[in-house]
Amino acid sequence: MVGEFFIPHHQYRAMTNEFLEWGLILSAGAFLLGLVNLVQVNLPKVQRRDTDWQYKAIMLVALVVTLVIGFAGGTARQQPGYSYKWFFDYVFVPLNATMFALLAFYIASAAFRAFRARNLEATVLLSAAILVMIARVPIGESIPVVGDYLPQLMNWIMDVPNTAARRAIFIGAALGAIATGLRVILGLERSHLGGGES
Amino acid sequence: MIRQLIRFQNMDRRWIFLGMALAIVVPLLAPINFPFKIDERVEAIYEKIESLEAGDTVFISADFDPASRPELEPFYRANLHHFFAKDVKVVIGSLWPFAPPMVNPWLEEIAADHGKVDGEDFVFLGFKDGKELAIKLIADDVVKAFPKDLKERDTATLPIMEGKRQLQDFALMMSVSAGFPGTREYVLQVQGQYNLDMASATTAVSAPDYVPYYKSNQLFGLSGGMPGSAQYEKLVYDKYGNDSGLINARPIATQALNVLNMGHLFIVLLILMGNVAFFLTRNIEEA
Repeated sequence: MVGEFFIPHHQYRAMTNEFLEWGLILSAGAFLLGLVNLVQVNLPKVQRRDTDWQYKAIMLVALVVTLVIGFAGGTARQQPGYSYKWFFDYVFVPLNATMFALLAFYIASAAFRAFRARNLEATVLLSAAILVMIARVPIGESIPVVGDYLPQLMNWIMDVPNTAARRAIFIGAALGAIATGLRVILGLERSHLGGGES
Repeated sequence: MIRQLIRFQNMDRRWIFLGMALAIVVPLLAPINFPFKIDERVEAIYEKIESLEAGDTVFISADFDPASRPELEPFYRANLHHFFAKDVKVVIGSLWPFAPPMVNPWLEEIAADHGKVDGEDFVFLGFKDGKELAIKLIADDVVKAFPKDLKERDTATLPIMEGKRQLQDFALMMSVSAGFPGTREYVLQVQGQYNLDMASATTAVSAPDYVPYYKSNQLFGLSGGMPGSAQYEKLVYDKYGNDSGLINARPIATQALNVLNMGHLFIVLLILMGNVAFFLTRNIEEA
């Protein structure tokens, strides 16, 4: 696949396309594998009445209900009037949004307890966080005198130190991924097979 | 005194939750609209779309879920209004399974507002699994990646897809992305290889990740979170607002900025008060 970037020939591309389709079929198969795995792991726990078995039972019931109404609705299931659409709009959307909305409350609590200027590094982090938080919203721009400069300062923080750090992380992660990939291909890394380090 | 300071630092978190709830609810009931400036990255998206000609076709990858809906849906809606107001044709696909039930109703409603015809002026191709692999396939052959659209029509026979096979056949590509797979994967997998004109609207938490791509011109524009959506809304609705014939063009991100204002202010005040209490306690203890 990497070679495609360097070999702009249609036959080479046809070959990589073939691999792509194999990959897509495998990823679709992984959905089925995930379904089987989910049932295999959770159903025995419900039968044994393990800890928190009630939550696992709710999860399995939700899984079955979603599958049944999804298949029953067919290709039109996302149209108004179908059970699947109702289930998505009035069960899944509020639950998913609520989970994310809770973050605001926990972030406020965590920020109050954890953000302390105990040393120089923490003070720099704290100052940058406060500046970006205030400058990101219109209220920051409305502060007399400094309001005009806050967005500029925020953009500098985001464009210079942030971009430099992100690039370093990206490059480091990419090199790490290549190294790990090579180790797997060469058989030096076998932990993913359940074996030892080497 | 020191006991009160320590008690304040260890206050029951339910007080913080109550404060946060008020910071969210009060601005909804009594909004104070602060003026805001337009970021150059958001303006770049607007200007690029303004430069498109009637009849051009664009591809939108709508990759978000209900959790990121408040940040990205306003951008997505304004974006559709913008394209349709300029008579640009829109093809949409998604890499997120939860996106279609949210994305398609807005597409149909906004397209109807502008009198657009399904299959000719717009089409929703649905969800494609496969993450990076799907991105590669979409870039190389959109029709092969989505042989049928959401309504089970053959994609290849749709008038809007005439002459559109690869992603580079589209005038530009918008990635409305809440995370993986999304903007980063499009940039890494296909933007450079196919030299795509691409922009991203993303969540506030992801935007810093994509700034390097904007700085290196891999993205021609970048809208981050609710502020970015509000800025884009302002640009689009100021020009193509209700007076110009647009319907349902309510600036929802702009209204939501009131909540964001107070939420941010509350967290900053909490941090400052926590630090004041921390230093006072330490000074008293040292003395």
